Amino acid sequence: MEENPRPRTILETCGEEIIRIVTPVSICMLSVVILVSILNGGSSSSGDLPISSMATIAYTENSSDSIWDKLKGALLNSLVFVAVVTAVTFLLVLLFYLGCTKFLKYYMGFSAFLVLGFMGGEISLLLIQSFSFPVDCITFAIVLFNFTVVGVLAVFMSKMALFVTQAYLVVIGVLVAYWFTLLPEWTTWVLLVAMALYDLAAVLLPGGPLRLLVELAMSREEDIPALVYEARPVINDSGPSGGAVQRRVWREGRGRPVMNENEGLSSNTRTVLASGENERDYVNAEEGRVNELAVPLIQHVNIRMNSTEDNVPSEDLVLEGIGLGSSGAIKLGLGDFIFYSVLVGRAAMYDYMTVYACYLAIIAGLGITLMLLAFYRKALPALPVSILLEQYSEDHLFTEASSDHK
Amino acid sequence: MTVAAGIGYALLALGPSLSLFTAVISHKPFLILTLLSSTLAWLMTLIALSAVWRAFLPFKTAAWWPYALLILTSVAFQEALRLFLWRLYKRMEEILDAFADRVSKPRLFITDKMQIALAGGMGHGVAHAIFFCISLLTPAFGPATYYVEKCSQIPFFLVSAIIALAFATIHTFSMVIAFNGYSEGKRVDQYFAPVVHLAAGMLTLMNLASGGCMIGIPLLYGITILTLAHCGKMVWTTLTQNRSRVGNVLY
Repeated sequence: MEENPRPRTILETCGEEIIRIVTPVSICMLSVVILVSILNGGSSSSGDLPISSMATIAYTENSSDSIWDKLKGALLNSLVFVAVVTAVTFLLVLLFYLGCTKFLKYYMGFSAFLVLGFMGGEISLLLIQSFSFPVDCITFAIVLFNFTVVGVLAVFMSKMALFVTQAYLVVIGVLVAYWFTLLPEWTTWVLLVAMALYDLAAVLLPGGPLRLLVELAMSREEDIPALVYEARPVINDSGPSGGAVQRRVWREGRGRPVMNENEGLSSNTRTVLASGENERDYVNAEEGRVNELAVPLIQHVNIRMNSTEDNVPSEDLVLEGIGLGSSGAIKLGLGDFIFYSVLVGRAAMYDYMTVYACYLAIIAGLGITLMLLAFYRKALPALPVSILLEQYSEDHLFTEASSDHK
Repeated sequence: MTVAAGIGYALLALGPSLSLFTAVISHKPFLILTLLSSTLAWLMTLIALSAVWRAFLPFKTAAWWPYALLILTSVAFQEALRLFLWRLYKRMEEILDAFADRVSKPRLFITDKMQIALAGGMGHGVAHAIFFCISLLTPAFGPATYYVEKCSQIPFFLVSAIIALAFATIHTFSMVIAFNGYSEGKRVDQYFAPVVHLAAGMLTLMNLASGGCMIGIPLLYGITILTLAHCGKMVWTTLTQNRSRVGNVLY
């Protein structure tokens, strides 16, 4: 009996969008864990690296301080940091309102240049030192310069292959996340919790800066300037009934029906670093240059329009009627990449089992958030669920000190 | 042990799972999600069990029965989770079927269901291997290695990896057997997974005796091969039955 070629079942396509986000997040986390293991292998978790940043401006942690002092200092640091982030986000909203999008766009390109060039260069130097890799200055400079320029073009210009853009966004995420793992221990943890809370507030409260930003962008049907990772859209082959499967995620400025998918993508990638002038304040004490630490964090803060806004029904009809065929691809802010990776990178300084448990908890949180996204169809904060799950799993792992054999 | 040896041990324990993942699971996103959630669920179980038993360890006596009690309670708890996962799976199957109807695609085939069970089982196997084997490897990098007197022929890490491989295989395939047994109501298949899990766990008690691992590990692999054979036979009969059923409908 001859069997017909089996029709494709839903098992083959269900969950594809989630996997397309989970994969780059996993790659980013894995890279940060590897970097942390290679570069921080010797020192213990309570590294007293004298890194001066916006996040340590209020209090520099000393391993000899008491717990209460550390907690107070960490809280102070986080407060300062969240305050700065809020201020800069409001500044961004103001600039966006005044229509200075071009300025923001150029600024994003400049920031990407700084991150890839300086941070990437510094980490490459550390790696070269650690492996005693023989390379001379001129080759290194040329290679680094080329790498940086291509990165800026990929993030800044629109016509680059999507894979290259995605790869560079992941690289930027890895670099910034690694930099963050150098912060003192208590500050990192309290900062993560503070940012999660800020996230919730900024997106869901009516006066929150992110919500304002999203509404502004929607009312003007413009792109929000930001560094956002966009997954390749899923093309449905289910024909006219595709509407049921499509998840309208973020309808970026596709007001005009004639915009084809290419243009849609280009308007996505024309994203601007929403950092504002924050970086200038943040100076690295040793090298006296500007650092972008705060920047991508602000990113994630901006991009919780990770999902759709409240859909305007008429827009929906227009787009469905055209049958563009592609569901709006899911976009995840780069700040989310960075925070998840910082979490996992910090865990890597203690023990790999913690890394494993944290990774699973974060992916579960991300999956739940994405499903809530499909359910509520609103801009959602991506951090809280993951952080909750992760804290729970870490607590349990820390209580059992050694693994016992059955 | 050195990094090369460490990677070798890790591949020994997880290599077949990795190949199975690349060949079967990585093509279907839903199976990847099932694998991840299953790993998380089983890891939570193992963490909860170790948190409870942490209070009593290390045992003061040299007798073997406290370890037997430990294994018994752990296996019982895990098998209870397997039942719970079956209920969850039934509900998800309904959701998936309703979704398939809505987008006018065919409902889940029997092979699809078995693949989902395989992904769930692999989650269990991977969680076990990482919890019991990889967690020992990662803090132990360095120039030396470690031998246990009771099993002194091969390094401790190698023994761990071999045992972890056996258990990973047992868990992966007994989930397929169990789910098939629950769905078709066959008693043999339903009791197969708990019995085999308990037997395998108790067999590892033999490693407590001096030189015991020389007998215990081959027996453990005997159980593994039994699981594989039973799973193969069960899948074969189910598929041929299905095909003849479909054949009867068509002709």
